[in-house]
Order: sequence, then structure tokens, then C-alpha cells
Amino acid sequence: MGKLYTFLKYFFITIWTVFVVAPFLWALTTSFKDFNSVNGGVTYIPWVDFEPNLEGWRVLIKSPAEGGVDIVEPYFNSLFVTCTASLISIILGTLSAYALSRYTFKAGPIKNNDITFFFISQRIMPPIVLSIPFFLFLGAVNLLDSLIGLIVVYIVLLMPIAVWIMVDFFNKVPREIDETALIDGCNPYQAFFKVVLPNSIPGLIVAGMFCIIFGWIDFFFAFILTFTEVQLLPVKIVALNSSITPWWSLSASALVSVAPLIVVAFIVERYLSKGNLSGAIK
Amino acid sequence: MSKINLNKISHSYNPNDANPTYALNPFSMTWEDGKRYAILGPSGCGKTTMLNIVSGLVRPSSGKILFDDKDVTDLKTENRNIAQVFQFPVIYSTMTVYDNLAFPLRCRDFSKEIVDERVNSVAETLNLKSFLNLPARKLTADQKQLISLGRGLVREDVAAVLMDEPLTVIDPDLKFKLRRNLKEINEQYKTTLVYVTHDQNEAMTFADNIVVMSEGEVVQTGTPKELFERPNTTFVGYFIGSPAMNLFETDASSANSVKINDTLIKTSTDLSKLKDKKIKLGIRSEFIKIAKDQKENIISANVEKVEDLGNYKLLTAKIGSLTIKSKISRETEVPLDKVDLHIPEDKCCIYENEKLI
Repeated sequence: MGKLYTFLKYFFITIWTVFVVAPFLWALTTSFKDFNSVNGGVTYIPWVDFEPNLEGWRVLIKSPAEGGVDIVEPYFNSLFVTCTASLISIILGTLSAYALSRYTFKAGPIKNNDITFFFISQRIMPPIVLSIPFFLFLGAVNLLDSLIGLIVVYIVLLMPIAVWIMVDFFNKVPREIDETALIDGCNPYQAFFKVVLPNSIPGLIVAGMFCIIFGWIDFFFAFILTFTEVQLLPVKIVALNSSITPWWSLSASALVSVAPLIVVAFIVERYLSKGNLSGAIK
Repeated sequence: MSKINLNKISHSYNPNDANPTYALNPFSMTWEDGKRYAILGPSGCGKTTMLNIVSGLVRPSSGKILFDDKDVTDLKTENRNIAQVFQFPVIYSTMTVYDNLAFPLRCRDFSKEIVDERVNSVAETLNLKSFLNLPARKLTADQKQLISLGRGLVREDVAAVLMDEPLTVIDPDLKFKLRRNLKEINEQYKTTLVYVTHDQNEAMTFADNIVVMSEGEVVQTGTPKELFERPNTTFVGYFIGSPAMNLFETDASSANSVKINDTLIKTSTDLSKLKDKKIKLGIRSEFIKIAKDQKENIISANVEKVEDLGNYKLLTAKIGSLTIKSKISRETEVPLDKVDLHIPEDKCCIYENEKLI
């Protein structure tokens, strides 16, 4: 039983790993190929099957005047918009989640759970429903095609995720922790910042991870709400495509765009594996 | 440290409903400074609500709380200077043991030297000294509960330390030691301790005074001896003591005697006003002995079983259809079938409508 289980476990993990990693390896080799090595049949091993070159990568940082596509600016735009929107969403989301978890709200038939569901419902409806209102709204306040406008929209999209995860997390943090802090002499704000928040770091990290992922990969709103002044990375990468598909630079930009998420994955993995998710009670 | 006065306190969790249900019915009580109190009652009888009212986590629907004659009813928890230990250990898991213990002092801006001295002294009392620099979450459940306790004891001027079944998670062996520890702390620092429990043994061994509660009602307050010998109601008689008090339904046959299964039993209670009313006679099994040369108050019974419970024997016998239990010493020889039991008249409690006369 034990041995068979271990064997099967590693067997499936190996298959899964190959399944997940193969496209990345494929993209990595492709990014060093030129037109002939891509179109002249299947090739795998650099220097043996084909002669590697850096053209696919160079194009990404060259200015359009030199025949490049310059993804550097969109890259930093994307980083800036994602990080700012995630940070603000986490701050606002955590505060509202704490309130929703600890205090009772009532407005007619609407109670805490309905408010929480209202947040989540923003993510349940198809994004396309929101596109016209967002467009009109940003147009009205003159924020179309601007970083600030994108940040505002992304906060609307990311905050429900933060609220959802954090309400669930705070509900699992026993009330006795807050009460103990009050008894020990904190006021409610100190209790939140000194005691509850440090205990909630694992939740914050998970919520932050989801915000960053969903913010970083969004194409739809970035595409609709920006034109020429501001471009985000996903839109720029799609724009690379032309009548002759530049597989090499597409592969390179795909790898570059995945890099921040890999960093996030490593940070989260370290936190999760440290067992920091265990609660403060018992 | 202060005297705590609960004045006509009551609490309902749904005060705005047409028919509010009360978790606590109105009661008044005073906790003297430096004493040990136990609040005893079955689960859901309002014990925790009472504690939360004292610590300020719950505001009573009516009534006043006075600390040393100062009204604190509307004072927030953080300003009351009270300590509370919950049933399950609550620790600040991101901090070390030292920081956990220092937290209540730091919140109140004590100087570094005082914090250090107090933390070390409390850690010494609770045997936590060798763990001070460890992260608190690495400790075992009972050590964590010691930290919760320590946070309550670290403030010297705390009005009272309220404990809500604090030893539930702790090994029986350690429980005994900790209870003695708590007693010592109370004697040393003169801290008022209030201890909520549903275990009568815990209450009896720990407290100077016991408050017995049932269904939101304070039923009786008194020393363990008072509760044992003169239970206020049949509930107290039933709840306190093992086995529970013997209770017999009867009616007063004269001014000082009742009839149990046609046997006349004298009592020292004046029954002249209760003629022909339904009453109950209560007697602790500890006071019932096998009759030797007593002449009066003797009732004969059929032995049903005798259990040897180590330090005493428990005799169960039948008087007609009534069951009577008697605690007798191990050496006593018990006849196999018929036995004459003596019921001391001064130990008889008479209840009308479940209340002591």
C-alpha cells in the first residue's frame, strides 16, 4: 500500500510537471529561434538543431523607430497599476472584511452576509456587462486612457476578491483574540492593528496573491479603456501579432510577463509551507 | 483591586423584541476585594454572560456595575482594568511568550523596568521562565493557557481576574496543581479571582464563595459549606454534592414532622404554616447513617445495592417505592436485606415550591 501509493504519487506528479513545464521550455527555445528555425520543421536543441540568436529578446526593448516593439514601458505600467490597485484593494478590503466579520450591520432586510455577497457579485457577472458603464464613467471624469483610470477600475475588480478571502479568514480568527486585546488594554483600533492584523498575515498574503494575479493578467479592461497614451503589457503583447507571426518575440514576451507571477508564487509558497496558516487559538 | 458591585443587573440578547428572552434575570451581588469566587451552573445558564458584563464586553440591558462604588457600566473594556481568561487559550501567536506577558503592561505604558520585573515574576510563578524567548505558538495547549492566565496576573492593580472555565484544556494532573497555584496567587497578591465552571468539585475546592446559577437566575450564593448543608432550592441540592441530595415528596403531618412512607420524621424546621401543603424533604446522603442506638427519626429500608467507591461506601436502599442513598464509611457492615437508617432532624431541609423554608 505504502510503496504503491508513493509510486503512484510521484508518477502522477511527474506527468503533471512535464505537462506544465513543457510549454515553458518550448517557449524558451522558441524565443531564441529565427524565422527559418521556426518554420523549417520541428527543432529542439540549440546549437545542434538550430543556431540560437537574441533577436526575439532584442525586439522587446528596441524602440519602434529601430524596428522594435518596446514592451519596457507597458511592463512598468502593468507593474505599477497592478501593485497599486492590489495594495489599495487589500487595505480597503481588509478593513471592510474586518467590519463585516465583527460588527452587525442592518439596513432593512440587508445584513452582513448580503453586503459580503454584494461584493462577490461584482465578480460573478460577466466582465463585459461592466465595460460600457466603466467606459462612460471614466469618460465622464476624464480618466480614459490613463493609469489612474485603470487603477480605479482594477480596485473595483480586485476588492471583492480581497473582501471575500478576508471575511472568510477573519471569521476563522476567534473573537476572543480581539476581546483579549481589549481586556489587555488596547482600544479597538490598537486591537486590530497590534493583534488581529499580525495574526492575519497568511490571509493577507493569499488575498494579495489573488489580487496580483487577477490584476496582472487582465486583458479585457486594459484593452477597452486605453488607446494610445497608456498601454498595459497584455495589450502590448497581443499587439505584437502581425501578418507574419513573430513566434520568437511572442515567446520571449510571454516568458517575461510570467516572471512576476513566478516571484509571487515563490513568496507565497514560502509562507504557506512555514505553517503560518495555523490559527492563534488551541 | 477593587470591590465589585453588580446592582440589579439583567441582560437580554434581544431586548427590542416584543417578548425579550433573558440570558440573565435581574440580580444583585457584591464581590469583595481579594476573595475567590466560583460561578457554578450547567452550560447555558448565563455564567459567561455575567463575566462578559463585568469585563465590559457586553453591556447589561439594565442595572449598574460599580467598581469600588464608581459606576463603570458605560466604561469601555479597555479602560476597566480587568483580566479575563477564556475557555480556550488565547495567545498572540506572532509574539514571543515574553511579549505576550508584557502586552497588557505595554498597552498601559508601564516603564521597561516594571514590565521586565513583573513579567519575570509572573513567569516564575507559572513555570514559564524557560520559555520566555520562544514564539508563543510553539508551546503546548496547557502552556498557552498559562500564558493567557499570566497576562491576567501581570497587572498588579487589576480589578479582578475573571476565568471562564480556564482549565478545560489542561490535564487533570496539572489542573490540580494549577488550582493550588491560583489559590497561592490569590493569597500572595490579594487578587480577586472569579472562576466560572460547571464542575462542582472545582468550585468547591477553589472558592471562598460560590454563586450557583440556573437558567439565567442566580439561585444561591454562599460558602461551600452553606451550599452543601442548606441548599436554597432543590436545584442546588440536586446540582451540588455527589450523589445528589435525597428528596422526598411529602406533606407536613404536624408542626415539626413529616411522613415518609408512613414513618414519622421529625425536623427542626417550623412547619406550622405548611399544614397539608405539598412539600419536599431534602437530606444529604452524607448525613444518613445506619441507626445504632438512636430512638427517633429511624426509617427502615430494603437494601438494594452497596457500592464500594474507594474511600466510602454508597448504600442505595428502597423505602417502599422511594430510593434513598447514604454515604457510609468503608468499615461499616451493611445488613444484606433490611436496614434501619437514621435521619438527623437538624440536617433536614424542607422545600416548598422547590424553595427552602
